[in-house]
Amino acid sequence: MTGLAFLAPNILGFLGFTLVPLVFALMLAFTDWDLTLHNMFQSRPLDFVGLDNFERMINEPRFWNSLGRTLFMMMGIPFGIAGSLLAAILLTQNLRGGSGRNTGYIIAGAILLAGSGMLTLAGLGSTAMTLLVIGVAGTILVSGSIGGSTVYRTLFYTPYFTAGVATYLLWKKMYAVDTGPINVALTDPIDGLTTAVRALPAGLVQAGAWLCAGAMVLLLFWGVSRLRRWWREEDLGVYGLIFGGVLLGLPVVWASSWGVVAESGETIASLAAAGYVVQAAAIGLGVWLVTGLAGVERTRLTPSDEGLGSALILCAVLMIGLFAMLGLSRVLYALPAMAASTGGLKPPEWISDADWAKPSLIMMGLWAAIGSNNMLLYLAGLSNVPGELYEAADIDGAGRFGKFWNITWPQLAPVTFFIVVMSVIGGLQGGFEMVKTMTNGGPRESTTLLSFYIYTEAFELGRLGYASAVTWTLFGLVLSVTLFNWKFGNRYVNG
Amino acid sequence: MKYLFLIFFVVLSGMAGITVLTAPDTSSDVPVLYWVTDANPARYEQVDLFHQWLIDNGYVTEDGKPIMELRLDTASADPTKKIIQSVAGVAGDIMDCDLAQMRELGVLEDVTDVARELGFDPSVTYPGVRSILEFEGRQYGFPCNVATSVMWANVDTFAQYGMEPPPLEMDADEFERIGLEYVERANADNPAKRRFFCESLAGWQSDGVLLSMLRSSGKSFLNETMTESRLDQDSRFLDILDRFYRWTYVYNLTPTAAQESSFSAQAGYGGGAGLALFQTGQYGIIMRGRWGLIRVRQFENPPNVSVSLPPTVDGGLQNLVMGSRRAGIYKGSKHKDLAALFLAYLASEPYSAQIVKSADALPPLPSLAETEEFIRPADFPNEWGVHDPIDQAARRVGIAGLSSPFVPTSYIVREVSIARDHVMTNNPVKTPERAVADCVLAINQEIARDVAADPNKQALYDELTETQARIDAYRAEGRPVPLEWITNPFYRWYYVQQGWAVAPEETAQSDLESDLGGGV
Repeated sequence: MTGLAFLAPNILGFLGFTLVPLVFALMLAFTDWDLTLHNMFQSRPLDFVGLDNFERMINEPRFWNSLGRTLFMMMGIPFGIAGSLLAAILLTQNLRGGSGRNTGYIIAGAILLAGSGMLTLAGLGSTAMTLLVIGVAGTILVSGSIGGSTVYRTLFYTPYFTAGVATYLLWKKMYAVDTGPINVALTDPIDGLTTAVRALPAGLVQAGAWLCAGAMVLLLFWGVSRLRRWWREEDLGVYGLIFGGVLLGLPVVWASSWGVVAESGETIASLAAAGYVVQAAAIGLGVWLVTGLAGVERTRLTPSDEGLGSALILCAVLMIGLFAMLGLSRVLYALPAMAASTGGLKPPEWISDADWAKPSLIMMGLWAAIGSNNMLLYLAGLSNVPGELYEAADIDGAGRFGKFWNITWPQLAPVTFFIVVMSVIGGLQGGFEMVKTMTNGGPRESTTLLSFYIYTEAFELGRLGYASAVTWTLFGLVLSVTLFNWKFGNRYVNG
Repeated sequence: MKYLFLIFFVVLSGMAGITVLTAPDTSSDVPVLYWVTDANPARYEQVDLFHQWLIDNGYVTEDGKPIMELRLDTASADPTKKIIQSVAGVAGDIMDCDLAQMRELGVLEDVTDVARELGFDPSVTYPGVRSILEFEGRQYGFPCNVATSVMWANVDTFAQYGMEPPPLEMDADEFERIGLEYVERANADNPAKRRFFCESLAGWQSDGVLLSMLRSSGKSFLNETMTESRLDQDSRFLDILDRFYRWTYVYNLTPTAAQESSFSAQAGYGGGAGLALFQTGQYGIIMRGRWGLIRVRQFENPPNVSVSLPPTVDGGLQNLVMGSRRAGIYKGSKHKDLAALFLAYLASEPYSAQIVKSADALPPLPSLAETEEFIRPADFPNEWGVHDPIDQAARRVGIAGLSSPFVPTSYIVREVSIARDHVMTNNPVKTPERAVADCVLAINQEIARDVAADPNKQALYDELTETQARIDAYRAEGRPVPLEWITNPFYRWYYVQQGWAVAPEETAQSDLESDLGGGV
């Protein structure tokens, strides 16, 4: 009874503010609730419309576009997780200076600060940003040598507990095209690149597209060989093979349009040829994979979903890399013409450019994600890795990478699993505050994510029924991904 | 740990107690009404003036105090907040809002009868805004001010480059010619070309100018009966977007959205960062209503200003898009009768005089725009010469934005903005024609959805589409169209100007012109 009394506030809160609204929203999804027709001043009866809202959603290009953009934004999740892990590992190192190191850091910091002060006195207004960076770096260095990893942990965690809107506005300024510190810093290197590209024969630069094609073939080979090996070792079932193959195949299919210029429809022969080469190589690798499978006798009855999680993660990461190569090759092809144009190459227009807006938001998201709760979870996870394992590895002569790959990474698997689940959920649901503050869904809707779309439909147009249908679809999506993760990821974690 | 929690508990409890004890006394002996409006500092003065107006007009308690107290609610000014609060029954008593949209929600009180009784019916304000106060013959609010989308030039900046500011009226070609000369002179010593003839055409500031130019070409976002968008029917809308693109990317007369975001000026209340850049000479022209002068007046050295109307295109008719920050009474208010007094106050001379003084757009009462205080404000000789032309243009060629019963204006503006974005950013994937077609499709689909959801609207829609078919047939035959068939305020004006309309028999032509902005 006492236990229930303690739990009651939480349970009541959950019922009142989560479960009931949730069920209510589910019911709404099957009604025509429109604020202009149904509110306390309009007594029009609420009609049950069956699946009409879902039907409209399926036929609504804006829904699919918003979903596509949301999934695109989620491509940053693996990088964010990797960054968090790296940060956590760095922060578990002994960073406190010994008395000798302390003195050295303090002297170095003092020199940096003194240098900043002298530059200020010299009246170098244009170096204000440099001064700031030097000053901050000096202060961090000195503080860190005294306070050790606690200082750095606090600094890394700062983005997470800073108010979202404040950081978004800050990043908006950072992304300013002409005056933002990012583009100010990029201007000189890009000018240098312009000079270099202009000096080189155009054909040589454009040949970089073929290097990208080569990289694609290598990535494909690596992916296919892993799948093949897993299959032969009976670590992979049919599902993993099929879905993994599909993911790897998507960029290959996309390569068909590699040489086609969207605006004019004309085909660039050399790019098209590179695309055909990649496709031919992919077909060859496919044949190699299939023939490799055929000759193997599996000794045990491998479940169809064996290794599905591993295969999907591997192939999804490779897919991102393959698409990146496709994009890079187009950039390399266009580079000589861009460099030759008046003014040469220019830094990106970031959130003002429809093509750059999403990557810009992803980059900002990475900055926030690296020092987020994920880092804390990894820090906690790292502290739980038994020291004996490392000692045993030391005795066996394992190197740093070997210890990480064979001890740290597997030991952190449950933490990683949790982080992946939460990040995917957050990725599908989130982004509203960021988009509302930084881009308001633009330019030309390029940052209108699913959450922003739901907000517009519900609160600007008043279509609560339809918005609920989209929300529940999103919920279904989140649930499916989470169940999938639990079913296959959990096995991977415990395996 | 338990002691830590205990300390936190005690400290927070203590702070809560202090907050309660030190909170100002908000109790009142008279009914308190809330006015949901923007955070303009002038609102405080307007509230004080209202209390004084109540006293002067005898709306007092036995001890001579105002019979009500008006308080500001500037935290709920966001349109979505107003919608949600209204339908939830917790909105402010008086709201500055889009009357058409809120009326669609059914949350506004019909004030037709009380307006006649207290003297704030639409006939007392500018004819150009009457169509956004009345819907199907019923009135739902009154203007707090009357806004116009005009272009302000910094005369000092133009003089610095040896140029005269643009004239009051010009066509798009002349605008372009003056702009080219301006940017050439202004950037002679500025290779980065960061001085612009006009502020960005990619933002909300240019909405009024875009619509005005479109109207000048004889086109509106919606057709005559506001049942359909036909922007893709011919190239007129696209031609204007092409001009915007050319002015921005080819001639650099205006900054791109990215260039604008690079300027380190910050927006405060009243008109965005463009005003600061206007003051510093970065922009020669900005696009605002008269209310833009509120902040211009706050500069240490306010520049000399001149005013121009939006450019016309293809020899089209000069026109001016008019709007209004207008107040309506919330249907859920417990004091609707008292709230009506506030609307009566908005139609009073003291209120309009305050608007004149504060430069918060045009006053609701046109007669106050004929005063010396309005035309030549004593403290601001730098503005002499701009106020009267705005007032005259508003009376002569001012037409309000449209308010279709089938699609929110905000939705149309958003779709048009997206199409403009596509053209202005030179989207390689979507051609301008496709962008405009998509815009039209989205608006028309929204109309179809709205109509399908409401059987009452279906009947009205059917009736109006039938009327539209008749209008189209009459136009094809070259016959004059009965004016009462047309509901789009722009086309009502345009058809009369072109001689394409016939007035109802009982309506004298002079009355008709008055109704359409032909004189006050």
